[in-house]
Amino acid sequence: MEGIFFNIDNGFIEGVVRGFRNGLLTTNQYLNLTQCDNLDDLKLQLSSTDYGNFLSNVSSEALTTSIIQERASNKLYQEFQYIRDQSSGNTKTFLDYVTYGYMIDNVALMITGTIHERDKAEILSRCHPLGWFDTLPTLTVATDLESLYQTVLVDTPLAPYFRDCFNTSDELDDVNIEIIRNKLYRAYLQDFYDFVTTEIPEPARMIVQEMLDFEADRRAINIALNSLQSSDVITSELKRELLPSIGKLYPTMTEQMATQATDFDSLKSILNNVHEYRGIFETKNIEDQFYKIEMEMCRDAFTQQFTVSAIWAWLKSREQEVRNITWIAECIAQNQRERINNYISVY
Amino acid sequence: MSANREQVFPTRMTLGLMKSKLKGANQGHSLLKRKSEALTKRFREITKRIDESKRRMGTVMQTASFSLAEVTYATGENIAYQIQESVANARFKVGTRTENVSGVYLPLFESSIDSVINDFKLTGLGRGGQQVQRAKNIYTKVVESLVHLASLQTAFVILDEVIKVTNRRVNAIEHVIIPRTENTIAYINSELDELDREEFYRLKKVQEKKQKKSAALDAELKAKALNAANKLEVENTDSGIDASGTGGPINEELPSTTSHTQAGQDLVTEREDDVIF
Repeated sequence: MEGIFFNIDNGFIEGVVRGFRNGLLTTNQYLNLTQCDNLDDLKLQLSSTDYGNFLSNVSSEALTTSIIQERASNKLYQEFQYIRDQSSGNTKTFLDYVTYGYMIDNVALMITGTIHERDKAEILSRCHPLGWFDTLPTLTVATDLESLYQTVLVDTPLAPYFRDCFNTSDELDDVNIEIIRNKLYRAYLQDFYDFVTTEIPEPARMIVQEMLDFEADRRAINIALNSLQSSDVITSELKRELLPSIGKLYPTMTEQMATQATDFDSLKSILNNVHEYRGIFETKNIEDQFYKIEMEMCRDAFTQQFTVSAIWAWLKSREQEVRNITWIAECIAQNQRERINNYISVY
Repeated sequence: MSANREQVFPTRMTLGLMKSKLKGANQGHSLLKRKSEALTKRFREITKRIDESKRRMGTVMQTASFSLAEVTYATGENIAYQIQESVANARFKVGTRTENVSGVYLPLFESSIDSVINDFKLTGLGRGGQQVQRAKNIYTKVVESLVHLASLQTAFVILDEVIKVTNRRVNAIEHVIIPRTENTIAYINSELDELDREEFYRLKKVQEKKQKKSAALDAELKAKALNAANKLEVENTDSGIDASGTGGPINEELPSTTSHTQAGQDLVTEREDDVIF
């Protein structure tokens, strides 16, 4: 029944997204890309895909990996912006929630730049376009967290996420920023999850919840893994505050990761208790493994009709696609053929 | 020949000076030659090592920039900025000390890692932290080998310069100073020989003069004696004493001949002294 009224608001958007989804690079196209001898060939191959002539005004001398990445990302941002502009109601809120993650990154970036007294323009150019909000440039006035919150962030959607951050020290330094970022992200994931649970109808709810669960687990595992070497800064209490409060690992494994995971092997044995992540450390690159799981999730998300989750799945797929293209371009540019097949292709 | 020698007075003292100079030059030449050989040996060694590390550099750099690509793949593009901003202290430091190779001071760069300082260990906490750490380790190795290469390269340039200077000196001594000193010695010897010959000739001349003089004296004496004898004879013939008259001139003549030979002997000895000297 839920499908009956879906098309009133979201039919067009879903149509557009499904069109975009069909434009995602397929395994065969990736195979063609890996056969390229140089970046010019790559450009030629890409021009026969949905990317079209996105590199048309770049001369072959100026063609670098970073330009390819930049152009491909810009194309994605434009398309996402278009969809966002077409949306209304809950769908719009949902898409806003999607961008909050990028906003957190931007805020962290701005604060980092501010405490090192960097030029504002320099930092703004590096901010993620999807996480842009109007008061972002004014972030530079803040020197401590309290004033940052009072002057700027209180008007942004991120304000509630800062609630948990004030019990740490008020002075901003690099360690704090990284911790704040992760605390914000934790609160954001929780908030997003609550929003989805209450506002988004099935079946999109289930899909998005699954994706959020996975995102939370990925962050949890990464934080546990990356904080192994810095146990002096990140105590188990602090770790408990950083690890997300949703996901398949929560609460049992999260608690164990916070208190018991002091080395790689104990972390591994904890994760072996969870079916989804059993053996994730067996392969060489855990990041690749996560990307693969994520992409499979996104692919499966398109199997459901009448969902807003397809938009998010498409966004993630496109981000991965940009990463893949960058990776392939990098391998071609640096002549590292043996690892060119490390990209992740599910379509 | 005369152009390629020093402007000196050809005296025995200068000869002695020149001889010691030649000796010094020979000694210096062999010393410098040995130095230049030692330096060249070192130079070849360094060239070999530079070659090796440059070749190694290529592969190391490749892995390094590839690990950076991995970081970008895992974390997104802003990671470089975050890392740049979160670094406050130098973890990797380069110190220098000097090494003495046959009197040449070569700067030696040494790298040290302060493992306590680890500024961006939290970067990528939520995503890609391991890639960041791996890239850090690989790039540490890159910088290490860069420092090593810089050390070698500096030594290479300095040694090259020093070897050139030393070789120039060796060649200058071998082809300019030694021949010139030898020429000067030859010149002084020839001049001294010339002087000796002049001296000999002069002595000969004196001797000849003396001989002539004494011959003339003899002749005069003889003539006087003859005259006296004639007078005596005339008187004897006048007075009739024959025996004593003939004995007189003979006695008179003897001392004069002995004195003459005496003088001749003196001259001979004198001359011979000169020649020896």
